[in-house]
Amino acid sequence: MGVDGIGARALRKEDKRFITGKGRYTDDMVLPRMAYAAFVRSPHAHAKVTGIDASAALAMPGVDAVLTGEQLVGDGIGNLICGWMVHSKDGSPMNMGAWRALEPEIVRHVGQAVAVVIADTQAQARDAADAVIVDYDELPAIVDAVAAMEAGAPQLHPEASNNLIYDWEIGDEAATNAAFEQAAHVTRMDIHNNRLVPNPMEPRAAVADYNDAEEHYTLYTTSQNPHVARLVLSAFYNVAPENKLRVIAPDVGGGFGSKIFIYPEEIVALWASKRVGRPVKWVSDRTEAFLTDAHGRDHKSHAELALDADNKIIGFRVQTVANLGAYMSLFSSSVPTYLYATLLSGQYDIPAIHANVKAVYTNTTPVDAYRGAGRPEATFLVERMMETAAREVGLSPAEFRRKNFVRSFPHQTPVIMCYDAGDYDATLDAALKAIDHDGFPARKAEAASRGKLRGMGLSCYIEACGIAPSAAVGSLGAGVGLWESAEVRVNPVGSIEVLTGSHSHGQGHETTFAQLISERFGLDTDSVNIVHGDTDKVQFGMGTYGSRSGAVGMSAIVKALDKVEAKAKKIAAHLMEAAEGDIQIEGGELKVAGTDKKLSFTEVALAAYTAHNLPEGMEPGLKEGAFYDPTNFTFPAGTYACEVEIDPDTGKTEIVNFVAADDFGKIINPMIVEGQVHGGLTQGIGQALLENAAYDESGQLVTGSYMDYTMPRADDVPSYQLLTTETICPGNPLGMKGCGEAGAIGSPPAVINAITDAINNNDLSMPATPERVWQASRAGLQQAAE
Amino acid sequence: MDMSGEYRIAAPREAVWKALNDPAVLKECIPGCEELDMISDTEMTAAVTSKIGPVKAKFKGSVKFETVNAPESYTIVGEGKGGVAGFAKGGADVHLAEDGGDTILTYTAKAQVGGKLAQLGSRLIDSTARKMADDFFGKFSEMVGGQANGGITDDELDPGLVEEAKSIAAEDAPGHVVEAIEEVEHAIEERVNDAEERVEVAAAKGLLGGPFVWGLIALGAVIAILAILN
Repeated sequence: MGVDGIGARALRKEDKRFITGKGRYTDDMVLPRMAYAAFVRSPHAHAKVTGIDASAALAMPGVDAVLTGEQLVGDGIGNLICGWMVHSKDGSPMNMGAWRALEPEIVRHVGQAVAVVIADTQAQARDAADAVIVDYDELPAIVDAVAAMEAGAPQLHPEASNNLIYDWEIGDEAATNAAFEQAAHVTRMDIHNNRLVPNPMEPRAAVADYNDAEEHYTLYTTSQNPHVARLVLSAFYNVAPENKLRVIAPDVGGGFGSKIFIYPEEIVALWASKRVGRPVKWVSDRTEAFLTDAHGRDHKSHAELALDADNKIIGFRVQTVANLGAYMSLFSSSVPTYLYATLLSGQYDIPAIHANVKAVYTNTTPVDAYRGAGRPEATFLVERMMETAAREVGLSPAEFRRKNFVRSFPHQTPVIMCYDAGDYDATLDAALKAIDHDGFPARKAEAASRGKLRGMGLSCYIEACGIAPSAAVGSLGAGVGLWESAEVRVNPVGSIEVLTGSHSHGQGHETTFAQLISERFGLDTDSVNIVHGDTDKVQFGMGTYGSRSGAVGMSAIVKALDKVEAKAKKIAAHLMEAAEGDIQIEGGELKVAGTDKKLSFTEVALAAYTAHNLPEGMEPGLKEGAFYDPTNFTFPAGTYACEVEIDPDTGKTEIVNFVAADDFGKIINPMIVEGQVHGGLTQGIGQALLENAAYDESGQLVTGSYMDYTMPRADDVPSYQLLTTETICPGNPLGMKGCGEAGAIGSPPAVINAITDAINNNDLSMPATPERVWQASRAGLQQAAE
Repeated sequence: MDMSGEYRIAAPREAVWKALNDPAVLKECIPGCEELDMISDTEMTAAVTSKIGPVKAKFKGSVKFETVNAPESYTIVGEGKGGVAGFAKGGADVHLAEDGGDTILTYTAKAQVGGKLAQLGSRLIDSTARKMADDFFGKFSEMVGGQANGGITDDELDPGLVEEAKSIAAEDAPGHVVEAIEEVEHAIEERVNDAEERVEVAAAKGLLGGPFVWGLIALGAVIAILAILN
């Protein structure tokens, strides 16, 4: 591939195997004597399980076993847990109901597993699962989170009265209320953030292999964080001690958050493998994915923004009800609290903020982190409010934002976060220029002459990546530390393996991480291998989510590289009889400055391993490890500008131009960053225009396939204009901020702001389907006429 | 899902009511009905084998009568289980009115589906259930009164087709009127066939999925039973 350092648009090393169909995914793993699992799932949203008759299934060909929740509980398998403790404002801990991997008593959402069939082939397992007869006594179900808190609503868990998980708050309520008393103008809105299904290309899968002789388990699984999976499986679900459990996450085809969590199916596969004495494979089909992959978003909020007479924001008040579904998924509690309300200050200098969040159980699929996790909800709320307030007070949305931007750093918000660096004017200027904001009125008039409605919408997002430092997140309730580890192994021939606790499931780590080594030592990226996703190979790691692998994962690699470089220089200095400080590394060689003396990296590496001539007291070998715990979150920010054209006859929205101006700090590979932004924007536009996980009132998911759940396609999105500005993040050695989620965080409000501008009606919720836009545009046209 | 319909049956109300209470008649009229048993005065069970496209499956349903006002009206509730395909349950109000020597049967039905049926097929259920109801009433009217008016040909005749028929009739010489009418009839028939073929093609492609189609059949059977039983 060549020597590709920081800033090079290096082609992705991993794409050779991906685009030639040679990736190795969990479903590609085939083990001797392997059996297949198929789950028996509830068709009811809420029901008592009164009996399971497996006799017909057991008599079917190839069926090895039918296992139920009673057996699972009897074998001591622990309940699924939520790993982030959130306390209500009265100080009480969150109310977590029991979640069993196979439910023996009461099912609480459609698709919850009550039994599993193990058979010789996948088809036999699925046929037999169909033949397991489960008797249910139906119970009334509740789907809407607000209604779930009302008196008389069906109750899901005895631990959570009125289905309330916690009633949490952040910020200074008294100061915020005082600000509202002095307000010259108050903008009020009710905002709903729609529920989404993550839809990674590869559905979840697990292959569990119990070795009777060693009492050891191996689990191949579609995980974004195999070490965390092992930790949780071992510590809470009692599957096996960590030293008896190896978790391998091979090639993984996308996650978007949904593969962070440990699900019932992996636990059952491990347990069943021991029970039947065979390896057990389970692969989700697409409808199972719709029913059981943790969903995203589903917030209902009421927000109020107080302005003074000069249109400066003086207070922001938010009440949010977050629907967490039927059970608390692994990090579900943190998403509508510490990943959401801490970002409610946006890019703005707001002296007083208060937010109250109620998290609620309903008879729906559990909800957890999905690309952006809390920050899209915050950004949608803040940026819809900003645009609306600007319209109400008669300022241009850009001018109103400028009036309120944070301009001095570090900036302490009233909601925990301390912004370290940024230049919000720079991204706003860049975006307005690129979309030709000044020329918009002419384009609007031209569109009107063709009978079309044009609109322009902005979104000035800020987000927080890297979730750190560990001590801080620990104090907020996180059950794990959020540092990262790396090990750099220089082989005797000078090639390098980098073992990282990050996990790549589409992000291109094998290329970007290799560029760091290429930059540092001047080596070809082909001589660098990135090793990840195997708990037997990599020491430990926290995995990949929250756009953390660059800022945290690569920082750990940098620390390990520092140590390798220091030792290599010592060896080179010793061999060339020079002073250590005179050694420079350049083009794969270690040179003595100002002379023609040099050694290749290979020669130094070999010297380290032959150990024939090392400095006095030095250990042989050239291998170093590091753990890196950041000092703060990172704060990527930017401005997205969206221009839409709407056909008032059909309500169809066309995005005619979309500009993303992002400040991601230092960028290692611009091509990969652009790919991340493209994907993120498309997911955000999908949420804004197309996607919606809909339940009927009895708790049936009526969008259980791509016939009814609309994913964005190429013809739904424009050719994006991407720009970047750069303020260096002071919190990590590379100055990186993270780019994996920004697109999905920043884009939905830009799209909805543009549509509501075009149709002259601000009352529009996501997804803005043609029908909704058509309805709203009629109302808007009527208002304009009056 | 909500649906309603109205049928004119060329038979007196007493005869229609009686037929609606006759398991033998019902069994004959429900497409694919294999068993139909009154297990009490107010309860019955049925097993129906249906085929849509390439999929053939057997469904079991049970129905209860809640308010019976012979020979004028009743309310029924029922439930059908399609195994892995999910379930359907619902209720219907059926009303019989006298109109000369004929009887006007009207029904409003409300059904709820669950499981795979809901996840995959909720948007297609209306049309499928309506087709099954129409099939049932067509056969029922034929048996009871000779022929039925209602269902797809009357309600849903495309205005465009009517216009086409008129223009063809106007353009052609009187001697060709018969041909013109035949052509229109043919066009309508083709349209109905087209719709059926589309369902079959979709099912054959697997778009409708095996279990999903089973579920539709289960639902259709339930609706048909709901709509007519006593």
